[in-house]
Amino acid sequence: MVVGDISTGTDVLVIGAGPGGYVAAIRAGQLDMDVTLVDEDAWGGTCLNYGCIPSKALITATDVAERARNAEHMGVHADPAIDMAGMVNWKDDVVDQLTGGVEKLCKANGVQLMEGRAEFAGENSARIVHGGEGQGAETVEFEHAVIATGSRPIEIPGFEFDDEPVLDSRQALALDSVPNRLVVVGAGYIGMELATVLAKAGSDVTVVEMLDEVLPQYDEDLARPVKKRAEELGIDFHFGQTAREWYEHGDGIRVVTEPADAEAAKAEADGGAAQEFDADKVLVAVGRQPVTDTLNLEAAGLEPNEDGFLETDDRARTDLEHVFAIGDVAGEPMLAHKASKEGQVAAEVIAGEPAALDYQAVPAAVFTDPEIGTVGMTEEEASETGFDPVVGEFPFRASGRALTTDHDEGFVRIVADDESGFVLGGQVVGPEASELIAEIGLAIEMGATLEDVVATIHTHPTLSEAVMEAAENALGHAIHTLNR
Amino acid sequence: MAYEFELPDVGEGVAEGELVRWLVEPGDTVSEDQPLAEVETDKAMVEVPSPVDGTVKELRAEEGEMVPVGDVFVVLQPEGEVDEDELEESEREPATADEDADTGTPESVEAGGPSTDGQEGSVPEGRVFAAPSARRLARELGVDIAAVEGTGPSGRATQQDVRAHAEAAEGPAGDDTATAEAAAEGGADGTEPAGGAGGVEAAGETGSGPDIAGGGQQVESADRERTVAAPATRRVADELGVDIDAVPATEQRDGEAFVTEAAVRQYAQAQQEAQAAQAETAIQTAEGERVERAPYRGVRKTIGDAMAESKYSAPHVTHHETAVADELVEARGRLKEEAEERGFRLTYMPFVMKAVVAALKQHPVLNAELDEEAGEILKKKYYNIGVATATDAGLMVPVVEDVDDKGMLQISSEVNELVQKARDRSISREELQGSTFTITNFGAIGGEYATPILNYPEVAILGMGELKQRPVVEDGEVVAKWTLPLSISIDHRVVDGADVARFAETFIEYVENPELLLLE
Repeated sequence: MVVGDISTGTDVLVIGAGPGGYVAAIRAGQLDMDVTLVDEDAWGGTCLNYGCIPSKALITATDVAERARNAEHMGVHADPAIDMAGMVNWKDDVVDQLTGGVEKLCKANGVQLMEGRAEFAGENSARIVHGGEGQGAETVEFEHAVIATGSRPIEIPGFEFDDEPVLDSRQALALDSVPNRLVVVGAGYIGMELATVLAKAGSDVTVVEMLDEVLPQYDEDLARPVKKRAEELGIDFHFGQTAREWYEHGDGIRVVTEPADAEAAKAEADGGAAQEFDADKVLVAVGRQPVTDTLNLEAAGLEPNEDGFLETDDRARTDLEHVFAIGDVAGEPMLAHKASKEGQVAAEVIAGEPAALDYQAVPAAVFTDPEIGTVGMTEEEASETGFDPVVGEFPFRASGRALTTDHDEGFVRIVADDESGFVLGGQVVGPEASELIAEIGLAIEMGATLEDVVATIHTHPTLSEAVMEAAENALGHAIHTLNR
Repeated sequence: MAYEFELPDVGEGVAEGELVRWLVEPGDTVSEDQPLAEVETDKAMVEVPSPVDGTVKELRAEEGEMVPVGDVFVVLQPEGEVDEDELEESEREPATADEDADTGTPESVEAGGPSTDGQEGSVPEGRVFAAPSARRLARELGVDIAAVEGTGPSGRATQQDVRAHAEAAEGPAGDDTATAEAAAEGGADGTEPAGGAGGVEAAGETGSGPDIAGGGQQVESADRERTVAAPATRRVADELGVDIDAVPATEQRDGEAFVTEAAVRQYAQAQQEAQAAQAETAIQTAEGERVERAPYRGVRKTIGDAMAESKYSAPHVTHHETAVADELVEARGRLKEEAEERGFRLTYMPFVMKAVVAALKQHPVLNAELDEEAGEILKKKYYNIGVATATDAGLMVPVVEDVDDKGMLQISSEVNELVQKARDRSISREELQGSTFTITNFGAIGGEYATPILNYPEVAILGMGELKQRPVVEDGEVVAKWTLPLSISIDHRVVDGADVARFAETFIEYVENPELLLLE
């Protein structure tokens, strides 16, 4: 023990206060355990402070402007001006309200909050190093630990987030003015969400993607409406390119890319296929990596796998029976709601309850324009799994509600087992896809059949009717679309 | 493509059948219409013929198992078609988009995976259709949700299904099983393992866990404080309900006991077998050897259900009377020799049947049926006579159709044939249906009078006692005469006592004067 250390004991030490960690802590508190929640930065973690929530706030705000600007056909004439600082202030208010709520909930459930960086000192002890010079450290002895350190953006060589013109997603969400020209490296969901926000805010946006498509992890027919809309917003796409370097140029910067393909790159070495983009800022959004390097895992006898994740079983346990890992640090998909579920399960398992990670599907949403929501299996995955899938679709252009929201692009697709009718998955692209996917998720978890979905009365006129119609289409008797 | 043969509706509207005996084995070559298996439905034993020429790939049911109609019970490889499984094994082609969907059936998917013994159906491995609440309950009760038979829509497992499964698994040795589950659950949560649970003797220091009554089998167990194992191994242990600290260690790592997945599986199986053996012993101990339990199903249950329906639906009245049958005995004695020369074995039954039909024609209300729903009495103008027959499996009633149109010898040969078929259980369902009146000849075994139960929805049944010489008073003298005791039950809703008395008089007239049958 270091001189000056204070030593405390706890039943459950939760490391990281994101949507995995704080949920685990609250549930552990509800189950009458003595819980300590440590975070070195902010209650609510990346999601509430620098990710999901701030981005959604800015998406909403820029949508308001964008819609007002393009509503002449609805008889609305407006010319909105964007005050980025004002927008960010509003976003901060939302974040403060939520993080304040998390803090209150933790305290109300008897969770001991501790600020600092936690690192293991042994199998049953950790040191909490407080931020700032001379703030000291203390040791916490724990019965159980829950590692919920999350992830951080991946840096690419030559583009360091410490450099002023180079932004990670967190910095992009805290801009005080709209950059005139923005290069976005990466057309995954973070890159596409932020590219859309800034394009709507008035930036001239160029997206550079190593692969050949936007949102490469999604089916082409889901990504297509997103790309089409992005192009309408003036976003420029360059595929098969990786970012090589940037340098100051004129009153801004110049970003140089090269072909991602090795052979093409070789050809390019003789001069040729390199591209240059002039910009004011460059946002790098090429993915996120788990955070384990701050934890001194060796002291506990743990080791991440070659992808950097901590491997866990279906009770969220690591190789050590009393140490759990949840959320981004425990593996893909890196999604807040998966982290929360794992946090609840970890807390319940620690309390001796028969909880387990037995979910059938993890939904995912992309808040682009239009949105994408997916859950469960695609048709192809269902076939590969051994089902004989049947698929139903419903286009939003046939939905009265979609037309009245002035957003009629996209469709709902539902995948089910032909023989039993069990709903296996759904893919939605279009207005409120992120909300609509919840119904299909419930159907999957409940073991509902297409008939069950069809027999459920859906409110008219709402977008949710599209889910029912897609299920009817799968059964071959949709009312408002032709059955294939 | 393999032919998945579903159990056909072997009778009329039969829901399931017991697979009594397989007549083929996997690998056997079969020709179309060759019997594959004997299936006992609630009406009869039938042989299920092969629909194709080919080979038997897989038997999907055990002998003694109840197979629902429509369930695949055997997989055949039709002749001249390539076995895709073999093709896959030999060529190992990568899956392509246009590949036949059937190659992705659960069987082939599971081929390389862990064994899923005892699980059938079209749901691929690892996929469970049950609400989260039911899944959680399953964990709570230590039930493998994948093994629960669902009764919800499309076989979805409900909370009730999980509870029923848990109760069934507990069985008569319930307490012990529950303890084992609790121990497994406890161990999974990192608490102290409960040694010796569920009849598994803990081989601790003392090596003397409680020997469960008559269990006989013991499984070697450990009782460690901690165990080194991969997360995957712990997962398997959880799934199998095994306390990992009780699994005998296969090796040491860093001075700690290390357990492999194989060891967990082996231990789980041994534990299961021990529990099963113990459960069996427990039944025997409880009831001793004084009671033998036999299943109430198949033909036995059908008989029972039919009897209950008849007796509870129709108010029975039985009319008793005796016919003096000297003339009948004499006539049959004369004709028997004549029949034998023509190759027939003539019994009394054709005479009785002819007499019954003659009497029914004069008293049609006994050849009737009550249609309660329509509020009508159906008087039938055809005469199909059922002949109650004792078989090894129980009572069956083969039917001779249109007795009024048939000659004595034809009736005789038909009855003999049908009775034989019923006894060797080769009778078809159709041959057991459609009677309008039934005769039961319990007297063939012995006895005078009885109270026969109607072959519902018929409204009358004739029971015959033993035909033998009895003392009869004739002209004030007691003389020995051949007599036939009669017991005629009727449905009193349709037939009155007077009706049956008159019917009996007519019938007896024919029996006592068999030459009257010539007029029929």
